[in-house]
Amino acid sequence: MKDDSMDEPFILAKDHLKSFLRKIKKGHRLVAPVTNQHQDTLFCTINNLDRVPINLVDQAQNGIKSFLFPQQETIATYAVTESGYCFSRTDVHPEPTVYFGVRPCDLMAVLYMDVAFMGGIKDQHYLEKRQDSVLIGLNCNAPFANCFCSATKSGPFLESGFDLMFTDLGDRFLVEVGRPKGRELLHAWPQFFTPAEADDTQAQYQLSLEAMAGFKLDVYADQAMQRLAAGMVPESVWEQLSLRCQDCAGCAYICPTCTCFTIVDRPSGAASGERLRSWDACTFAGFTRLAGGHNPVPHKTHAIQQRFMHKLKYDVDKHGRPSCVGCGRCVGICFGGTDIVRFIKMAGEE
Amino acid sequence: MAGLATTFGSGAMTNAINEIEDAEVILVIGSNTTEAHPQIARRMLDAVDKGAKLIVIDPRRTRLAECATLHLALKSGTDIPLLNAMMRVILDESLADHLFIDMRTENFAALRAMLYRLDLAEVEKITGVPLSDIRRAAQFYARARRAVICYCLGITQHICGTANVQSIANLAMLTGHVEKEFTGVDPLRGQNNVQGACDMGALPNMFPSYQAVDNGDYREKFERVWQTRLPATPGLSLLDMTHGGPGGPIRAMFVMGENPLRSDPSLTKVEETLAGLEFLAVSDLFLTETAALAHVVFPAASFAEKSGTFTNTERRVQLVRQAIPPLGDCRTDADIIIALSNRMGYAMAYESTAEIMEEIALLAPIYAGIRHDRLQNSWGLQWPCWNTTHPGTPFLHKYYFTRGKGHFVPNDHVVPAELPCQDFPFLFNSGRIYHHYHTGTMTRQSALLNRECGEALLLIHPDDAARLKVRTGDRLCMASRRGAVEIKAEITDQVAVGSVYTNFHFGETPINRLTIAAQDPVAQCPEFKVCAVRLEKL
Repeated sequence: MKDDSMDEPFILAKDHLKSFLRKIKKGHRLVAPVTNQHQDTLFCTINNLDRVPINLVDQAQNGIKSFLFPQQETIATYAVTESGYCFSRTDVHPEPTVYFGVRPCDLMAVLYMDVAFMGGIKDQHYLEKRQDSVLIGLNCNAPFANCFCSATKSGPFLESGFDLMFTDLGDRFLVEVGRPKGRELLHAWPQFFTPAEADDTQAQYQLSLEAMAGFKLDVYADQAMQRLAAGMVPESVWEQLSLRCQDCAGCAYICPTCTCFTIVDRPSGAASGERLRSWDACTFAGFTRLAGGHNPVPHKTHAIQQRFMHKLKYDVDKHGRPSCVGCGRCVGICFGGTDIVRFIKMAGEE
Repeated sequence: MAGLATTFGSGAMTNAINEIEDAEVILVIGSNTTEAHPQIARRMLDAVDKGAKLIVIDPRRTRLAECATLHLALKSGTDIPLLNAMMRVILDESLADHLFIDMRTENFAALRAMLYRLDLAEVEKITGVPLSDIRRAAQFYARARRAVICYCLGITQHICGTANVQSIANLAMLTGHVEKEFTGVDPLRGQNNVQGACDMGALPNMFPSYQAVDNGDYREKFERVWQTRLPATPGLSLLDMTHGGPGGPIRAMFVMGENPLRSDPSLTKVEETLAGLEFLAVSDLFLTETAALAHVVFPAASFAEKSGTFTNTERRVQLVRQAIPPLGDCRTDADIIIALSNRMGYAMAYESTAEIMEEIALLAPIYAGIRHDRLQNSWGLQWPCWNTTHPGTPFLHKYYFTRGKGHFVPNDHVVPAELPCQDFPFLFNSGRIYHHYHTGTMTRQSALLNRECGEALLLIHPDDAARLKVRTGDRLCMASRRGAVEIKAEITDQVAVGSVYTNFHFGETPINRLTIAAQDPVAQCPEFKVCAVRLEKL
């Protein structure tokens, strides 16, 4: 096959998917959504392809955020010497990893994390994990119950941003090539792929139209963004939502684009210890509270403001698009009923 | 527990948690639900979204009170007159469910006689709640087709805790709000397994499944299975044990997963008692204040390191699956008990926790149908579950009460054991906060939770603060007749004038030095919620 023909889509028969993944596993760690014995579907590392069923039907409860930006990671160790604290950076040499079955929302979220962690100052810990990773996406033929990615323009079908993108056509996958790392995978094992026909691309187009019509929630994110930009969201909306927010930070932890972290030192004795970074959330009072106890954000009435302003205004101002990708996970996890869909609805009301 | 047992015959939530969100009226009394039971508060807020009316009865303006249709800010310890007044309004306005009363209850005449003696103007004065609000609350509650009452420690931790609960049960029976789905009386239990511990007989007077120790038939049944003689008299209550003093009735103690040196009232007395023991053994996850005093400490395994079941507040028995092997030298609670028992000459040999569950099923009728294999891949079973094909019981008292007929127990106002006076002018109340759990044995280990809330703050009304010339952040000495602590002030109008409130999670600020050891005569639960203190600015 010639190089310039590679960017035309291909077909992979479903019968050969496992064989293809087995080849990938020879040079990479493979991460894909798997349903465990407790019926939870989670992205996890696959050690034995024959033991675990990859689930390409349900939405994974986690995204792939924690693989690139772990909930807790050691970024340095320290020793207390006579001359003071002496830090040594923790070196990690992550395996090259292929993430398979990544939905458009989660894929867009990784692109957002790339901007957050590598846009200005390069975050070494993120970079090390990200640079040898390959993203194989899976377009969403049927949006899940809480999804609204069409409203945030991050799905249900993506045309770019991926290394490879799969679309389920029933007995076969349409495989689109995005970035060079995807092309390399196809190059390495061309035996599984045949060029796609016009019928295949037509079938994909049809599926994308059906998917757009399949959303169960009406979420007018554009309207909320416009009203935020115009300062038209009344104070009472923040107050009402902040009062109901239960402070659990589940939304931030489950969110594929929430990237705030805090750093704490954990001593292992008097003379040494490790420096950890772990996920943090702007809805915590301690996120903004200053020494002495003053909090510039009145927590009771505005705990939730930063979260939605960041997603739907600050990032729109900065990058031209919201950093909510419409995956809907926070809708499912929020127990106060203060999720982003609720906010968008309230922000849109006159 | 005793309060519901005397009226309904069974002391547990009559509903399943999920039913709360379809109630039309939710009456929350003595429960800071958003902070103490967030998963239940979530259902309450969902119900409010669906149009339900939420009535909160609490001396403080809690977060839930701010979401409520109606907040009755009563004075601490005046629940009985308030509930009686609601019942009187219901009688006066012909809102009682007489069909239900006739068919399903007994002793109504006594309740009616007591209610007709009630002076509503007097109630207004005692409780500090305007009569118009009491009337509205009564109307909302009585007129609803599906009404739930949720209560918690604000009701039970009084010297009249049992009478408080009985009054709640009276109100529910008067209006027939008991027997149906989405309708009932729900005591909210705290710990993940406090319901299970009570079910298993961690009570001084009960064998598992609430079979009384002093009943010969029950005792014989347990003696036959356990092949040993069992005591015929009930054991001591918590305060009898921890407040006995040196030379008291207890010489040795084994404390599991409890920190009485922070959680019991009148701590000075507890300190004396524990220090005077000939032998103290403690098993816990971390070295608590109590464990630090012990002769022997067993490091215990956490929930993630063991298998078995927990029984939650809605009587749901759920399987816990071991996620990681026990860390270091720690062992599971069951393991510790079994090893101790074997060494003390009573052989215990269980191959798994599933085998222990089988013994529970054999001896505890309400658990008779529960086995580990039935709990696999399910959300658990709600007791009573009478046999292995029984589906469990989502709500109690359908068609008949556990005790047969519901029993009205009329109660008059009981004045708290210690009210403010000239020397100790403030009413002191304590409770829980969202980010910490009990004496903080586990939660105080978390950097993030400590960042969210790392010290006790004493809530003081702005008027009192102005009089004492105290500002937020000032340090105060708070003293009662029993002890004193140093504490930081936070000025807020969530508390009423003359009342102060704080949380008891912080070992550095052991506020239970101040609380009183007076207790309910039946349930023997201490009156944590009311005592008198004085404040001095440091």
